[in-house]
Amino acid sequence: MGIERFERMGWKNRTFDVLNAVFLIVLMLTMIVPFLNVAALAFSSGMASMRPDIILFPKDFSVEGFATVWHSLDLKRPFANSVIVTVAGTALHVLLSSMAGYVLIQPHLPGKKIMVSFILLTMMIPQDAILIPLYLVNKDLHLINTLGSLILSGMISGFSILLMRNYFLGVPYEMSESAQIDGAGPLRIFASMYMRLAKTGLATVTLFEFVSRWNMLTAPVLFINDPAKNTLQVALKSMIVDASATSSNFLVTTNVRMAGILISIIPLLAIYPFVQRYFMKGLMLGANKE
Amino acid sequence: MRTLKRQGMLYIMMVPVVLYFVLFAYYPLARGLQASFQDYKLMGDRPYIGFDNYETVAHDPTFWNALWNTLAIGGGILVAGFLAPLIVALSLNEVWSRGFKKTAQLVLYVPHLLSWVVIGGICIFLLSPDTGLVNLLLAKGFGLAPINFMAEEGWARVVMVGSAVWKDMGYNCILFLAGIVAISPSLFEAARMDGATRWQQLRYVTLPQLLSTMKVILLLNTLGLFRIFDQIFVMRNPAIASKVDVLMMYTFQKGIMEIRIGPAAAASFFVVLFTLLLTVVVRRMTRFDEV
Repeated sequence: MGIERFERMGWKNRTFDVLNAVFLIVLMLTMIVPFLNVAALAFSSGMASMRPDIILFPKDFSVEGFATVWHSLDLKRPFANSVIVTVAGTALHVLLSSMAGYVLIQPHLPGKKIMVSFILLTMMIPQDAILIPLYLVNKDLHLINTLGSLILSGMISGFSILLMRNYFLGVPYEMSESAQIDGAGPLRIFASMYMRLAKTGLATVTLFEFVSRWNMLTAPVLFINDPAKNTLQVALKSMIVDASATSSNFLVTTNVRMAGILISIIPLLAIYPFVQRYFMKGLMLGANKE
Repeated sequence: MRTLKRQGMLYIMMVPVVLYFVLFAYYPLARGLQASFQDYKLMGDRPYIGFDNYETVAHDPTFWNALWNTLAIGGGILVAGFLAPLIVALSLNEVWSRGFKKTAQLVLYVPHLLSWVVIGGICIFLLSPDTGLVNLLLAKGFGLAPINFMAEEGWARVVMVGSAVWKDMGYNCILFLAGIVAISPSLFEAARMDGATRWQQLRYVTLPQLLSTMKVILLLNTLGLFRIFDQIFVMRNPAIASKVDVLMMYTFQKGIMEIRIGPAAAASFFVVLFTLLLTVVVRRMTRFDEV
């Protein structure tokens, strides 16, 4: 009797396991197939890519789409702009946010509570509420149509400060006390000790920021209207979405558009192994500390 | 003396942050509030006109339509974007093979890494009536006539909600999994000793233990409800604009396209009000559950 029950459970369990795996595989296919489709189209010739029969494998293999999008449509310029904004913006973001995070772990610092609320409050300001005034501020500072406006946009965030603070709290404070006795100032302790010991935290914030800056759309749409200063996302948007609506441009065949998409996701795929290592851990840390 | 110098240095390290937040967070907020009471012109005087801008917005049917669209699309994303990743996380948790679990997590996370331009562009392409993969599948598999998903008003919001849920699936899934991993294994062991089936373990251990994670995710997603912008900006088109233009799109169009700063600022403070209201409601609801 007992054995019978056990066997029935085993059979039920196995059926469930199979159905469960099928469910997850189908779900994964909804993520994989579209990207394979994009890649197949990108590596097809212009003529072949306009027909509906390419699904997983390129037809009439060619890389002309990449050449067209990079040179003729000049995607290299917005690509370079995006690289500048992403690298400079991320570096500044990480440095300034961790500096603030370091200040916030100091015990007995007068005014620390005020600083924390000052930072927390900025996280509650809805983006919509400052969308238009931010445009005005950038205009007053003569930053419209400069890459500077994009680097400054989101240059510091409360979220990153608090995340770095959490990581710095993991560094034993006695270490910095003994360094203090040896005469090291706070800036030196921060640079030579904390920045080295909280590598996971730094990597997490860097990756978060890199991805969100590379994908940034609202800020360039608001602050940039000079095509020479456009970022990759805006250039892609006008190429993929707007061009497909009007289709007046004979250059923009499907393979060209898909090549543009592939080029834009290469940097993200390049950092994905690191994302997997740090980003997800960081997310979990963030979720558990809420 | 040395502590004083030390503290001085610490305050100096805080200066850039304070300056930045004053200039790019608090000042814009104050300036927006001020502009909402002004007849704001880019040049010349800006006389105060009381609540005229708020009245203009309140009498604009486009604004209320945008609010309704935000609630419909945002609400859809809130519900489906909560349930779908929860189900997937629970299903992932039942997988024994670590390799499969890890691969699935990796694959599911990819769309969240990409921009709305890329995801929106791919969606528009996949859903196109003549060459899109989805319509090809519907035609071959079910013999259905092609549907122009991106141009039919009835499908517009479904497409927006669906693509948003699909994109953020992996992200929310990881948050749920983090919650599941944090559950003490001894609880499951005790349940198994008592002869609980997998379903019973899920029902009586995992789900109740996951409640606090669920609340956090629900609250975080609620705050995102009024922030929907990139997706709509990429995926909207004139045929479906009246069904999908959300509040931030309204502010953007009024303020940047039409350069009517006053009404745009007033509209954004309506949004602040809605956000506050919604936050209070959700907080109440999640706390109510606790009792």
